[in-house]
Amino acid sequence: MECGADRNEFFHLDFEGEAVQARAGETVAAALAAHGLRAFRTTRTGAERGLFCGMGVCQDCLVEIDGVPGRRACMISVDRPLTVRRQRHGQPLPATLEQRAPVTIDDLPVERPELLVIGAGPGGLRAAIAARRAGAEVLLLDERRAPGGQYFKPVAVAGDDVPPPDAQHREGLALVAEARAAGVVIRSGVTVWGAFTPLDFAALSAAGGHVRVLPKAVIVATGAYEKGWPVPGWTLPGVMTTGAAQTLWRTARRLPGQRVLIAGNGPLNLQLAAELYKGGADVVAVVEAARLPAFAISGLAAMAAASPALVAQGLAYHWRRLAGRIPMLHDRVVGAVEALASGLRVMIEPASGNGPAQAFECDIVCFGYGFEPSNELLRALGCRHDHDPLQQRLVTKRDGFGRTSVAGVFALGDCTGLGGARVAAADGFVAGLAAAASLGHAIAPALAREGRAAAADGERHRRFQRALWQVYAAPPPSMARVADATLICRCEEVSFGDARAAIAEGHVDIGAIKRATRIGMGTCQGRYCRPLLEALICQASGTAPDEFSGFAPRPPFRPISIRDLAGPDLAGISGQ
Amino acid sequence: MIGPEAQALPTAIGTVVIGGGVVGACVAGFLADEGRDVLVVDDGRGAGSASNAGSLHVQMQSRFMRLYPENVPNMELQLPLYPKAVAFWRELASSLNADFDLKMTGGLMVAESQAQLDFLGLKAKRERRLGLDVEMLDRAGLDAIAPYFGPSIVGAELCVNEGKLNPLLCNAAIRKWILARGVVLAERVKVNAIARSGSGFTVATSRGSVIAGRVVLAAGSGTRELAAGLAPAITIPAVAEPLHMNITEATAPLIGHLVQHADRMITLKQFGTGQIVIGGGWPARQDKPGSHPEVELASLIANASLAQHIVPSIGPLRIIRTWAGVNTSVDGMGVLGAVPAIPGLFVAIPGDAGYTLGPLSARLVADVILGRKPGEDLQPFRPERFG
Repeated sequence: MECGADRNEFFHLDFEGEAVQARAGETVAAALAAHGLRAFRTTRTGAERGLFCGMGVCQDCLVEIDGVPGRRACMISVDRPLTVRRQRHGQPLPATLEQRAPVTIDDLPVERPELLVIGAGPGGLRAAIAARRAGAEVLLLDERRAPGGQYFKPVAVAGDDVPPPDAQHREGLALVAEARAAGVVIRSGVTVWGAFTPLDFAALSAAGGHVRVLPKAVIVATGAYEKGWPVPGWTLPGVMTTGAAQTLWRTARRLPGQRVLIAGNGPLNLQLAAELYKGGADVVAVVEAARLPAFAISGLAAMAAASPALVAQGLAYHWRRLAGRIPMLHDRVVGAVEALASGLRVMIEPASGNGPAQAFECDIVCFGYGFEPSNELLRALGCRHDHDPLQQRLVTKRDGFGRTSVAGVFALGDCTGLGGARVAAADGFVAGLAAAASLGHAIAPALAREGRAAAADGERHRRFQRALWQVYAAPPPSMARVADATLICRCEEVSFGDARAAIAEGHVDIGAIKRATRIGMGTCQGRYCRPLLEALICQASGTAPDEFSGFAPRPPFRPISIRDLAGPDLAGISGQ
Repeated sequence: MIGPEAQALPTAIGTVVIGGGVVGACVAGFLADEGRDVLVVDDGRGAGSASNAGSLHVQMQSRFMRLYPENVPNMELQLPLYPKAVAFWRELASSLNADFDLKMTGGLMVAESQAQLDFLGLKAKRERRLGLDVEMLDRAGLDAIAPYFGPSIVGAELCVNEGKLNPLLCNAAIRKWILARGVVLAERVKVNAIARSGSGFTVATSRGSVIAGRVVLAAGSGTRELAAGLAPAITIPAVAEPLHMNITEATAPLIGHLVQHADRMITLKQFGTGQIVIGGGWPARQDKPGSHPEVELASLIANASLAQHIVPSIGPLRIIRTWAGVNTSVDGMGVLGAVPAIPGLFVAIPGDAGYTLGPLSARLVADVILGRKPGEDLQPFRPERFG
């Protein structure tokens, strides 16, 4: 099978002397989570952290693997026995005198594909297929172990007791097979960590090789990551994103824990509740920030008109929730999380903040409070963005064919300002054809017709999305309610109080506040604190955010080890 | 509304300092300490682009000697100022009662060949004559004080006067000091023209005009254009050097010294946070003067790879951020003092190691403005030397 293990095989992990059984193909994080291990690293102040984003962004699941520090447990697949240790902040480096000759950029292998597609989610896959069918040579790079992205999340393990792929998995596998059959070159486990003008990319494969990619055109489909929810306790081990929990279940068939509370805004939380319940978890409650859908009848009707299939799927998730007698609380949000001797206590309060809180006990809290576009590549290339005040996020300026403001750069999907998998897939096909056409490939009439159908499909799903978020409309989180003691910067452990003090001292932009407080200077590179700090600054100054009010996008877009940058095994990247 | 951004500029003030980096801020602070009213104008953010690296350089940097051999006599002329500038940083820390994470660890310039050692040996001899505390170390001597170098390093020049500090802590403390002294700090304000009027100046900015008795040009390489626009035009051949910088995640204390190389562009130092800052002169890209410089892949690869070559054990450490800073280079020396042709005009450009020399340079220029005899002979650094 494409994605990882094809046989029921187990490996022994030695976790600080404790024996952990890991299934071949699952991540270190999945194996540890299944073993009830939640604390993976300690911070500068000695606080414990664990799996949070589950997708390689937050850097809170760092462990030392076979003596190498700084490994993300959520990104490392188990393919042999491993020795794993918790990572302590600032721990000593193993002594080595293995010296390598210095290298320069000229030592980097260079690839010159006609078209580079970055991100193998639904949008990137469809873009690659369309461009390839139009005659372009396509190289598709993806950071994860197997193509499919955060929507398909392919199953990575095999075994008699492993539940078979569901319809969503099968759709992803079919799309990947279609791309391969069309002649798209897909390389998984490859992180594009640098984008330089014009059209100059630096990538690193999980196997350690670097490459510089100089395409004639690029399609960026890098998706999104989940926002944080800044409340006391949001950094505790056991608090993770909805996506992280879903990745455990969908890719490794592991539960994040037995008693799970899922809180957030939007349908993904309901899907997770249904999946975890089916997988055997006790879902304590689903806590939704929006009011009961009954308040949004017109939205429901519009959703049904735009996509009856998706509405049916949503209802199926609801039926499963009802069958499992999982309570659903509307118009409620998480107000705080506390660690108990065993498990967590979660305080649920009215979304307005006014009214009594209700306490729940559980092992795991999932936060699904929406997404942030992963637009750093686009911004580094100079693509212009608008700020959408309603959704509070940047939207990439594009025409109807996915062309950005920079020649040769196309973009689609969640990285351009969200819209979900269906919109991304449709836009992907349109952008793939447009990119191929821009490279001089004639689009055959039949293919052009498919393109027009995809464009219409995209419009239909955009209508669905608009209606969906009308139904799920929830008040934006109020920064004023966040207590001074709550952390704003997870990595550097800086509080909202420190941020407010810096603003009060007259610091007026995010860069100056970063330098004054260290907010955003940590290993997640500002991904979780930035939206919060930007909101604080804008509220205080009465200004509107724009494409320059966040941190400047600077490579590396993921922390990259010096050894990886320095070669000498600069052998280029090979497919996995 | 918050912050200096929203404040109206004063219509008249004693002194306008143009440039809110470490030099401009300190000039303003020293004047305000004496009760003078000062406005600092910066077209970006105070300490936003250049005041951001943290090495306390004293020994002559081999990079400048290779790049600008014609400037070496000037570098030697200014060299005695460097150890005093480091000592002045320590005085500033204690007078502001601030923690700069300042460590007087000494600096090592390492060699990988006999030729490089010979070069360092000659350099050390001349530096010793100019009052620096330097000594040559062979590999055994090096291992005794810095047991972290790769096997190809054969020896080093140790300069005891060198050290490092955390510029983020310094800049924050300096800003706090000058705001407490009543300095008006106007950021994101561009100076469009400086005209002489009466016995002073009219400074036209993007937020209106200010009448000032004195003007201090402390705008790094931007000083060139400002000075050229005056009547009469003043020549200050300052050039911007956009430089690439990297910083890693934290690790346990490993690299105590400020590390450089005799023949390659590198600086390596570890902050109190445990993070290692890797820089040393690799270029960043600046598309046009004054625009924000961008980091380049070639510099990132070469700089990181060289760092690992010199200190192999940092290999597993991850680089989490890069940025581009701007160094200002003139002729190997600073430009400090009054401009005789234009009474009331002063220049404060510290020299090759701008951050190291910043506060002392500011002190000297502030003394000139205050009519005091500066503690150093500023004759070599006089602004009119370029004709």
